Amino acid sequence: MFENIPVEVGLVHEGERVRKNDMQVELGGPSESEKFEIVRVLPMDQVTDGKIEIIGPDLSEMEPGAHYPIGILVEVAGTRIETDLEGVVERRVHEYANYIEGFMHLNQRYDIWIRLSKKSFKKGLTSFTLIGRVMHELFRNELPIIERVQITFITDWEKIHPLYAEAMATYEARDARARGLSDDDVDEFYGCALCQSFAPTHVCVITPQRYANCGAISWFDGRAAAGIDPKGPIFAIDKGECLDRENGEYTGINESAKKRSMGEVDRVYLYSAFGYPHTSCGCFEGIAFYIPEVDGFGIVHRGFRQVTVNGLAFSTMADSTAGGRQVEGFHGISIEYMRSSKFMHADGGYNRVVWMPSEIKERLKEYIPAEVYDAIATEKDAESVADLKTFLETHHHPVVKRWIKEEEPAEETTGAPVVFSAGDIPVTMGGFRVILKNAKITAEKVIILPVKPPVQKGR
Amino acid sequence: MSRKGVNIKIKELNSDIAQLRDISLTIGAINNDTWDEPMGPTPFPSLTTLRNWDLTLLNRYKPFYLPFCDLCCLCTYGKCDLSGTKRGACGISMPAQQSRTVLITACIGASTHCGHARHLLDHLIEKYGGDFLINVGDTGVEVEAPVIRLVCGIKPVTLSDLEPVLDYCENQITQLLAVTHTGQEGYQLDFESKVLHAGMIDQLGMEVADIAQISALGFPKADPESSLADLGLGTVDTGKPVILVIGHNVPPSTEIIDYLQKKSLTSDVEVTGICCTALDITRYSSKAKIIGPISWQLRYIRSGIPDVVVIDEQCVRADTLQESAHIRAPLIATSEKNCLGLPDRTDDPVDEIVHDFITGKQTGALILDPVKVGEVAVRTSIGIAPLRKKHKTLPKDTDAIIALAKKCTQCVLCRRACPNDLPLPAAIKAAAQGNLSGLDEIYDDCLGCGRCEPPCAQKIPIHSLIVAAAGKKTRDETYCIRTGRGAIQDVEIRKVGGPIVLGEIPGIVAFVGCANYPKGSREVAEMCMEFAKRRYIVCTSGCSAMSAGMYRNEDGKTAYEQYSGHFEAGGIVNVGSCVSNAHIAGAAIKIASIFAKRPLRGNYEEIADYVYNRVGAVGVAWGAMSQKAAAIAAGFWRLGIPVVVGPHGTKYRRMLLGRSDKEEDWYVYDARTGKKVYGGPVPEHLFFAAETKEEAMVMIAKLTMRPNDTSKGRANKLANYIDLHKRLVGGIPPDVHLFVRTLSDVPLTMKDEIVTHLHDHSWKENPIPDPTLLKRMIHKEKEG
Repeated sequence: MFENIPVEVGLVHEGERVRKNDMQVELGGPSESEKFEIVRVLPMDQVTDGKIEIIGPDLSEMEPGAHYPIGILVEVAGTRIETDLEGVVERRVHEYANYIEGFMHLNQRYDIWIRLSKKSFKKGLTSFTLIGRVMHELFRNELPIIERVQITFITDWEKIHPLYAEAMATYEARDARARGLSDDDVDEFYGCALCQSFAPTHVCVITPQRYANCGAISWFDGRAAAGIDPKGPIFAIDKGECLDRENGEYTGINESAKKRSMGEVDRVYLYSAFGYPHTSCGCFEGIAFYIPEVDGFGIVHRGFRQVTVNGLAFSTMADSTAGGRQVEGFHGISIEYMRSSKFMHADGGYNRVVWMPSEIKERLKEYIPAEVYDAIATEKDAESVADLKTFLETHHHPVVKRWIKEEEPAEETTGAPVVFSAGDIPVTMGGFRVILKNAKITAEKVIILPVKPPVQKGR
Repeated sequence: MSRKGVNIKIKELNSDIAQLRDISLTIGAINNDTWDEPMGPTPFPSLTTLRNWDLTLLNRYKPFYLPFCDLCCLCTYGKCDLSGTKRGACGISMPAQQSRTVLITACIGASTHCGHARHLLDHLIEKYGGDFLINVGDTGVEVEAPVIRLVCGIKPVTLSDLEPVLDYCENQITQLLAVTHTGQEGYQLDFESKVLHAGMIDQLGMEVADIAQISALGFPKADPESSLADLGLGTVDTGKPVILVIGHNVPPSTEIIDYLQKKSLTSDVEVTGICCTALDITRYSSKAKIIGPISWQLRYIRSGIPDVVVIDEQCVRADTLQESAHIRAPLIATSEKNCLGLPDRTDDPVDEIVHDFITGKQTGALILDPVKVGEVAVRTSIGIAPLRKKHKTLPKDTDAIIALAKKCTQCVLCRRACPNDLPLPAAIKAAAQGNLSGLDEIYDDCLGCGRCEPPCAQKIPIHSLIVAAAGKKTRDETYCIRTGRGAIQDVEIRKVGGPIVLGEIPGIVAFVGCANYPKGSREVAEMCMEFAKRRYIVCTSGCSAMSAGMYRNEDGKTAYEQYSGHFEAGGIVNVGSCVSNAHIAGAAIKIASIFAKRPLRGNYEEIADYVYNRVGAVGVAWGAMSQKAAAIAAGFWRLGIPVVVGPHGTKYRRMLLGRSDKEEDWYVYDARTGKKVYGGPVPEHLFFAAETKEEAMVMIAKLTMRPNDTSKGRANKLANYIDLHKRLVGGIPPDVHLFVRTLSDVPLTMKDEIVTHLHDHSWKENPIPDPTLLKRMIHKEKEG
């Protein structure tokens, strides 16, 4: 495959670092203000497959130890490839470049930082043509939907400048499209069964407004993966009929969930933690957890080591929601989903969120409606549910209105659990007198179980 | 929580509601159950409870015998020659006898860990109280004791809750050892099943010991950024009094640290350690220093640096008393299990003992009170250091080495005695002529066993020659190690789930166990770094954890400085001492509960089936030496985790090898469909001895494959397997077609050559199953 490449190409080189002292040349990186890599989809006739062009000095013409600007333009064509997939294809550049021995590639888009090692340069990796050939070969092999690829490397500052501006505009447009794309705009969702290798009944449904729980797969990624390998673990789900717009229930999702979970799950609400919540495997990035006392949700992310406002830590609650089960009120989610306007839409979205760690609150600031932002408590404001109640009241959190509405007499009063120790065994209860003489009571084992109050249901 | 039985006798009791006379109430056990998880099918399994699971594994991985000895000498009928198809006077066959010996070995190992755990737990309960709460990782760890939950079905909350676990272990070890009596078990696979049982018991003992000491002694609690400790002979400040602690049971050593602190002497006395006590003392105090694995015992004592030697239990050389006497360093034995013939001075006044040591009236004493050991060791070291002036038994200079080397007659008996067949005669010959480079080179590969010396008719202290010739090297031994962090956090496991299924982490490799290496410590360090570089999760423990740190890269960094201590791609995670191995098993067990919500409670078989078919973990005991190592390995086998050992590992008398050529051996149930499908020979072996580091590395990469691998995961595993094979053996592995299920499994950068290979081997596509070996785990479609 890479017989004519003078260095090795393989997965094992992926994590390789090239240190400053071992560096032949640096491309992009912090010393260069303008650099980029971009993938564009073009009509078939505008792409010459295998063409590799270099504008500006080639690797062999660069001064050793110096840094240069870099632009990598990958133009692709194919009957089934679409502009929406440009971003997904583009991320492969990072992966492929890193397979090359002694060619370090960091970051993506306008932030790329590349170093070529002296050792690989000496071995003969002296031209971008070789880098381009490797990428071409890998693109064609891994992504059969790409039928033609041409690659241009630009190292001439004059030439980079206008292309850089164009690339920045493209990234912006792409991001705007991704942000603006709603579940109503598309016909297909995607399912991901990768985690079934560890959680056999869990399937993620990935929609434009609901990222995979792991935070690693967007709707665009799903679309690309399903297009490349329709029989693979990431597959298209025909939306079918929308049964419930509020909760986000679709016939297509229900059918797919039933089939893939082998009947364990037959209904899924995309935007609710109640009823038929989306399942989780174990690698979700955060949990939305219902706090019955205030009728609102707390949110905790994986990195939060303290106990949350309900007295439980992430690990404890994670244990309650994992494993491909539908657990009402404990909802495994990705950080990206918290940025979605459909985030727990049916439950009230951020108007129902009452507590979250300050770190994550800060990170999500621009996605939380300004009017509720200050009314959401963090670990600094409330350490217990009692604190929380006071905080919500004084900050006029929208959930406070629900309290009045829903206040009703408690359904059942459960007394304190009856627990007794060996010291005070009640031989009998009032009204009787029991006389035991020469009694020998032998028990192999006494099991004392606390009487638990029934678990309160969500809504 | 559970409490042992109670007996209540009441002569007479009058109250408003009852009159009781001569009442005797006996309760076997009080079980105050606050755990709402329903009890699984096999809490506290007996010898045969899990026999079916064992036989399922053992029929795939049949014992391949490597008799260390053809004879049985256990009863007075013998010696019985069992070679060929002969049977002994009791009727036993060679395979059964080999497996019986393995069972004895595993029982010794398990009883050692359980005995250690009992000793430690009794001490900690006495000191901190039985109600002291277990805490292994604050909020980061939800499942505090995965092995105990899985095997016993109990959830320990306090130190006392660990007692019934040890009661069970002790009971089972007694039963297991009874199995090895003449005229008991006769069939090899039943012996082997019991070996696996012993391994599981061993894992319980280890878990009890480590969670008790982590909780009570305040060791790092599942901390990925636990501090770095000094490692190596060169890190010792020889200007100070030096205490050496050797062994595995840490309380006497922690009392030394406490006494130093109490008397504000911490910076005046060096506390140095060898073996697991050293690892555990650095978990207690970052000021303590680790000299090295077991191999350093002779060389460090002979260097004269230690002023007092304190020994506890396990892996302590039996001649430590003689060696320390030679350097005039008093020895304190602290364990009932290792008294060395010394007078018991536990009840004597400290002043008297210290006086007797300093004046040389006594060379050693047995002191069974750890607190007293602390004071005696410190005061003796301070008192004796100026008197003994680091008196050493190593040759004092080059001339002395040459003079001793000149006595050599080249009889070659030293080389014949050397377990690693090191070229000693040639090196000594060169030394006699003034060239010490041969001896200096041997130092790197030397196990420090000293077996070269006794056969020498000229009484040349050969080991001392080696160490003295490598003097500069020993002074340069200044490394560091990340102190043992204990358990793996649940959150860390959650974080790696994604990267594993997406093919970014090829597997988990644990380098554990002793230091009986074929070529010194360096190979372990090299393997650790190679696998970390390849983005495997690397775990270390015990002597291997030390060896992993005893090597610097071109930037002068040790493995622990170069790689993170997080349980993540490319992390090198030191869990701690031997008993910390339970956390590696625990991490595998927790995967089942975290990702699939499989109930752990008393549910061994199902979880082992899950781990075996899904968790791509491999244990490597490159220098496995002890009976404990045998028991540790057996614990991993029963969970379905394969173990690779170094060449000395063949002396464990049998391997457990799979036959990839027998297609019929590798069928699994697809839990989705209930059909039996070919799952491929993964993992190919359960117990494998590699002759060289190169062979081991290729095998490790191969053994991380599991039938559930996603295509991306398999592609990454294959890429590493093939790449290592190409580099270390040459060419594409001849069996690669057995591991490709669909074309998406083929690593992208190797597509052309692999597809050609598949074509040449008339490869057929196979489905990727939801694998299980247990028929009852086949998914039953829900009604409706």
